[in-house]
Amino acid sequence: MNYDVIIIGSGPAGYVAAIRAGQVGLKTAIIEKDKVGGMCLNWGCIPSKSVIESAKLYKKIKHEASSFGITGFDEKNIGFDWNRSVKRADSIVKKLTAGINFLFKKNGVELIIGTAKIISENTVWVDNRLIEAKNIIIATGSDQEKIHSSLPDNLIVEISQLFKDRQIPGNIVVLGQNTVAIELVQFFNLIEKNVTLLVPGKKIMPMADNYLSEYVKNLLLKSGIKIIFDVDPDLKNFEYTEGNLVSGEIKTPCEMLINSRTRKGIIPESDININVENGFIVTDEHLRTNIPSIFAIGDVNGKSYFAHIASAEGLHVINYIKGVEEKINFKKYPLNMYTVPEVAQIGYTENEIKENGTDYKVSEFSLSANGKAMTEGDNIGFGRLLSDNKYGEVLGVQIVAPHATDMIAEAAAFMQVESTVYDVAKTVHAHPTISEIFMEAGLEAVDKAIHK
Amino acid sequence: MRYIFNFPDIGEGLEEGTIVEWYVTKGQKINSGDSLLKMDTDKVVTDIPSPKSGTIAAIYGKVGETVRVGTALVEIEIEGVSGAEAVKEAQKDSSVEVIEEKGAAVVGTIEVAGSRARLPASDEGMSEKINEIDKPIKKILATPVARALAKEMRIDINKVTGTGPAGRVMKEDIYAYLQNSLNIIKTAKINIADERVEIKPLTQIRKSIARNVSLSKHNAAHMTVFDEVEISDLIREREKYKEKFIAKGVKLSYLPFIIKATTLALKTHKILNAQLDIDNNQIIYKNYYNIGIAVDTDEGLIVPVIRDADDLTIFELAQKINEMSEKARKRELNLEELKDGTFTITNYGSIGGQFSVPIINFPQVGILGVGRIMKKPIVKNDAIVIGNILPLSISVDHRIVDGAETTRFVNQIMDYLTDPVSFIMD
Repeated sequence: MNYDVIIIGSGPAGYVAAIRAGQVGLKTAIIEKDKVGGMCLNWGCIPSKSVIESAKLYKKIKHEASSFGITGFDEKNIGFDWNRSVKRADSIVKKLTAGINFLFKKNGVELIIGTAKIISENTVWVDNRLIEAKNIIIATGSDQEKIHSSLPDNLIVEISQLFKDRQIPGNIVVLGQNTVAIELVQFFNLIEKNVTLLVPGKKIMPMADNYLSEYVKNLLLKSGIKIIFDVDPDLKNFEYTEGNLVSGEIKTPCEMLINSRTRKGIIPESDININVENGFIVTDEHLRTNIPSIFAIGDVNGKSYFAHIASAEGLHVINYIKGVEEKINFKKYPLNMYTVPEVAQIGYTENEIKENGTDYKVSEFSLSANGKAMTEGDNIGFGRLLSDNKYGEVLGVQIVAPHATDMIAEAAAFMQVESTVYDVAKTVHAHPTISEIFMEAGLEAVDKAIHK
Repeated sequence: MRYIFNFPDIGEGLEEGTIVEWYVTKGQKINSGDSLLKMDTDKVVTDIPSPKSGTIAAIYGKVGETVRVGTALVEIEIEGVSGAEAVKEAQKDSSVEVIEEKGAAVVGTIEVAGSRARLPASDEGMSEKINEIDKPIKKILATPVARALAKEMRIDINKVTGTGPAGRVMKEDIYAYLQNSLNIIKTAKINIADERVEIKPLTQIRKSIARNVSLSKHNAAHMTVFDEVEISDLIREREKYKEKFIAKGVKLSYLPFIIKATTLALKTHKILNAQLDIDNNQIIYKNYYNIGIAVDTDEGLIVPVIRDADDLTIFELAQKINEMSEKARKRELNLEELKDGTFTITNYGSIGGQFSVPIINFPQVGILGVGRIMKKPIVKNDAIVIGNILPLSISVDHRIVDGAETTRFVNQIMDYLTDPVSFIMD
């Protein structure tokens, strides 16, 4: 069978590329070995955000509902049922995967279930047959590296196995140095578990601006989460005795250890030599591998671990195959974290701006004076705008606020069109909204914020 | 067919003029070369001749009105030539008749008043006319930052090819356009695999130097004055204090004296401590004297700024120079220490050079280059003696500083350096 494009993997990189390929008239096959939608839909973004919403609602009902004027329940009887929250997540996942299957059919994309093996620069072996295409796109995603330790196997839970029917114990430890690990520790903290975060490094969020990372760290510590820095990623110095992870003097109660450590690309089996470095497929600025007809998009190329970037990479490659050459600017993609309050960042961090030698300015506006945030009962946070002094270009935006993950889209639009702080200051924002902090930060950058 | 005659660029760097008198009226027949009007510019009062024969169809502008170069003066009805041809013909004319303006090689440009030379139609006006015929003017999609950049670099954004969504002109497109137009990066086809070449990425410092010097050359009108000064007395004074300074842990070079002399001279010749604000037709004079000193580092040139250098003593200046150059070499300078210079001094003499044509640290107005002190025979009291000669090279932006003023400025610096006691007298 001959195709224009074969895509291996149907996560947010692969499935978006496949739909787009179908839309522009390419004869497309997509290969999936497990579940359509990949990690994001099945055991990543969607299920985790779904259970986080459950936990936020639980906390709100238990601790705030009565002050909001809700009556008729006994706060002592409010409880959290993990299995039911997972069931709700499952039903959302089912709807979304059905949606993808529908879009495949609508756009003439052929879905092949099976494990792919690359045979040559144009052929793939799958489902006991050989298929051929002008271009092959690898979108196989990534997986956590295993924890290579002497700890009991049944203690460790991989994220792909987490969102299932299970008993959630009282003492939980998460190992990782990324947004997923932070979301998880906070989630378990919201449902009143005793939680410890083991960080294999000095910062909880290495990709984030120092200011943001420090702010979030303090939020976590204040809510009672314990953080241990500089642990060995394989937990080599830890032993498990009497329900505790023990390392020297430090004893950490642990009945479940969730592995959220650094990810590595899932490299498909191949008869030809595709360059791999540090566990990821090496690609150029157009996401081409060393084989001209083969591309690698999403987590597997190691450029990012975010679903939205994976999708953007998918669109980029299909455009490229169709002869449209564009640049990918990774600085214009947001970085989101679904904590309480939410955290989002886009553009350059303060450190990067300093290193570039740019003359810059920081304009911050606190949420404490924001009316809408107060009505929602959550006015901890800020909006922070980094701009260059010469033209006033918006170089970076950081938000800690309810709905920050949605609000960052406004900053993304500002950056996409290379806006200046004058544009930000002059964009009228409706009142009352949390997004008013943008306008205020813009005014602050130009001259002075009004409500400060 | 109608031919629109725009106020031509008569080559003196003039942008506008005032109409003194009209020699023609509507409906009058004229021959090419006939004077149309008398125009007063701030340098000359001159007659503007007609580039075409025909009948005056319309006159724009009244006596006393100020008109800008490139705006329409008259419309001439030309017989027997169609519109597009008229434009083409006019273009051909202009290419033949362009009066070339050579850069001023003499200090203090000699102005030619009341030139009766036949003037070509302005190129600018012509190309606009062609554009009107070729394609309708449309709104250019460009980002706010790209517009600000284009404005600052005086680039016509209409000429820039946009690579953003829907052809939007992005920041990078402006930089690319600038680089192309300046030919600073000639991308000759080099085979990357060729072992005889080595390819290294540009460092941030190099990128910023490339951008800044291009910006300066693109915007300022560079003019350089050279001179030599005899400094035997200064050498003696320096020798006297050198050991004392070293005892206090500070190395005393000639640079503190030169900075001192420069700040004193800048106070008299304030235009050299100014900045041209061309968008608002004004000059910004600065009442503070922040002197940039060019420091050679492994990664390239860095220019730390000595703030309020005029308030510092020779000792304090020497201390500051030691501190700043040390910090520059270790890349420990912060932005505050690199900002807001008002004048720059570059001392290539320490490496051995004599004269140079330094590039102005834009948007500053002047830069002083200091060469190596050399023993040379000089004439003193009609006898040949050995003199200690310090070569100086100063580049200025001729848009706002003329040769005469520059020479006076250099003379004052030289007076101070010849007579070190004079430092404390003024």
